Amino acid sequence: MAAAKPEPAFLTTARDRQREMVEQYYSDLASAGGPKRPVAYMLVGGNLTEIVRSFGFEVVFPEIVALNCAIKHVSLPNILHAESQGYGLDVCGYVKNDLGLQELGGQTPFGRIPPPDLLVCSFSGCYVYVKWWEALAEKYGCPLFMLDVPYMRDAEPQAEDIQYLVTQLNEFIALLEKITGRSFDLAELRKTLARSRKAEQGWVDYLASGKHRPSPIEAYFEAVFYMFPINVLRGTDVAADFYATVNEEVRARIAEGHYPVPEEKFRLVVEGVPPYPSYRTFWDFFRKWGAVSVAATYPKVGGLFDRGFLHDPARPLESIAEYSLGAYVNQSWPLRRQIIGEYIRDFEADAVLIHGIKSCRSFTAGQGDLRDRLIHDHGIPTLYIESDHEDPRYFAPAQIKNRMDAFFESLDRRRGSVPLPVVNA
Amino acid sequence: MTLVAGVDIGSTTAKCALLEAGEVVGKSLAPVGVELVKDAERALEQALAEAGRERREVAVVTGTGYGRFKVKFGQFAVTEIGCHAKGAHYLFPATHLVLDIGGQDTKAIKVDAQGEVVDFAMNDKCAAGTGRFLDVCAAALGYDVSEIGTLSQGARRPVKVTNTCTVFAESEVTSYVARGKDPRDILAGLYAGIVSRSLSLMQRVGVEPEVTFTGGVSKNEGMVRTLEQRLGFKVNVSPLSQYVGAIGAALYGLERTEGTSA
Repeated sequence: MAAAKPEPAFLTTARDRQREMVEQYYSDLASAGGPKRPVAYMLVGGNLTEIVRSFGFEVVFPEIVALNCAIKHVSLPNILHAESQGYGLDVCGYVKNDLGLQELGGQTPFGRIPPPDLLVCSFSGCYVYVKWWEALAEKYGCPLFMLDVPYMRDAEPQAEDIQYLVTQLNEFIALLEKITGRSFDLAELRKTLARSRKAEQGWVDYLASGKHRPSPIEAYFEAVFYMFPINVLRGTDVAADFYATVNEEVRARIAEGHYPVPEEKFRLVVEGVPPYPSYRTFWDFFRKWGAVSVAATYPKVGGLFDRGFLHDPARPLESIAEYSLGAYVNQSWPLRRQIIGEYIRDFEADAVLIHGIKSCRSFTAGQGDLRDRLIHDHGIPTLYIESDHEDPRYFAPAQIKNRMDAFFESLDRRRGSVPLPVVNA
Repeated sequence: MTLVAGVDIGSTTAKCALLEAGEVVGKSLAPVGVELVKDAERALEQALAEAGRERREVAVVTGTGYGRFKVKFGQFAVTEIGCHAKGAHYLFPATHLVLDIGGQDTKAIKVDAQGEVVDFAMNDKCAAGTGRFLDVCAAALGYDVSEIGTLSQGARRPVKVTNTCTVFAESEVTSYVARGKDPRDILAGLYAGIVSRSLSLMQRVGVEPEVTFTGGVSKNEGMVRTLEQRLGFKVNVSPLSQYVGAIGAALYGLERTEGTSA
């Protein structure tokens, strides 16, 4: 009988705490909705969590619900249901998972997802997302607020863009006051932002530890689990405390010499959204070769905190505007290339792996060129793999494994290594 | 002298090459079935029979191809990307780019002066432009794939085959037949389509002579000619072009036994 594959090493206490937080979050959501505990739907990119929470809203992130469905292997029935309603094969898997799930009653293995009382389209860079929110607004007849976030072409946010967003945020606050009958409490927002800032600093410290050799963190596969609080629970003490726990365990890993990849062979920068339906299989393809991701772009979809931005209670609306501008997918391709180039340098990466997803042109269009540019500009071996983040039908394990084996094999050969024994299949 | 074997279990065929003193001394090729372990065994036995050698004489067996881990009696497994690079370099040492079109995938592999992989690109998910694509379209024209190599020579007005799906392309070929198009023009259109897709992959890694064309589709003269026309220069095609992966695998095994780069 073949030996069982060793389990990936997680931060024990942090992982348990993360599970508890996720369970608590969905458990709380199940009873939410209506005037007392209204529900706002929001997108991860550029989200306005702090503002809506200050008005007593519970927040649902349908993208996160969708990825939770995918990782628990229950996304396909939702997708197929949406397709039976007429949504085509080319429509984003997150969108189809959500719309299918809504039509099927909103029940998931991790809890019931309540319908929205308010829809906040916080990332307008994806036209499909805009249509998704419009479809939900039509279905539920609830208010829809569309935040128009200018695309980032410059490394620093421009004053007029910030002003444009602050104007919209004031309109948004007026809408929230009207819906809830509550007055906006600026002092409370400042306190919330201070808690956000604390969590963000903890998250940044965690991400920076990938610079250590060997890396005490897995900055893609493992980090994905620890990004839940920074996206969903930002502004709470729970999130800030969580990252203190995470970093304490990371320091212990270094002190004890206990690393997520025991024999680190290849340090990778990973770009792109993970294939959630085949998450463990994909991760195993890395681990087999002693490859660890030391930096990744995907955990920054909710905000590029590691690039110097933190929410600022002294400039509440301005810093929320800057945050919305700073979502990773809202950056132009030259900026994305620059970010990845700096990761390659700062984290001493040996190679780059790009995972493109069929669903999302916002994230993926341009990744082919990105591969060529990284090879040309940095002389770094770069592999492009494609599947999907939500739809299991697009993950072809044999083909993906073959490409990854060939890629790591060629990296290995450059170090003078010999062929892999057949027993290591 | 060390006798080494490379066994290439591809998506449609199993190949074996036996090398000794830098020469291919035995080879075999047969379709694969559902029992890949047995197919691998058979491939080795048939190559040994051709060479008049015994199993016990083989020092190292290296598996490659999608079924490389089914070469259970082997000592090593190397991807076919690495093996095609190594094998092409062995046959044509000035190779910079390998185009391998096998049963279900197409690979463009950039190699360095030592035959090591620098970069590669492959077709994604779809078998259009591969050997299987040609099998299907040849059948739609009423031919066996082995018969169509020279048929396109007399083409005068090649058709455009626009579908990127093997199944739909078959329907397209059938519709051209129904419209009375000359099979030579249809084949020329198919070859142009396949070469166009292959060139796109080749350009991803960089086209630079010498180009070595490997895999079952390299046996098709029409394909070779169409590729050369598009590239504007001759490509290397060995009589052993279907065995390049197996040869490369054998060379990896030899390198292991000798502890040096072959």
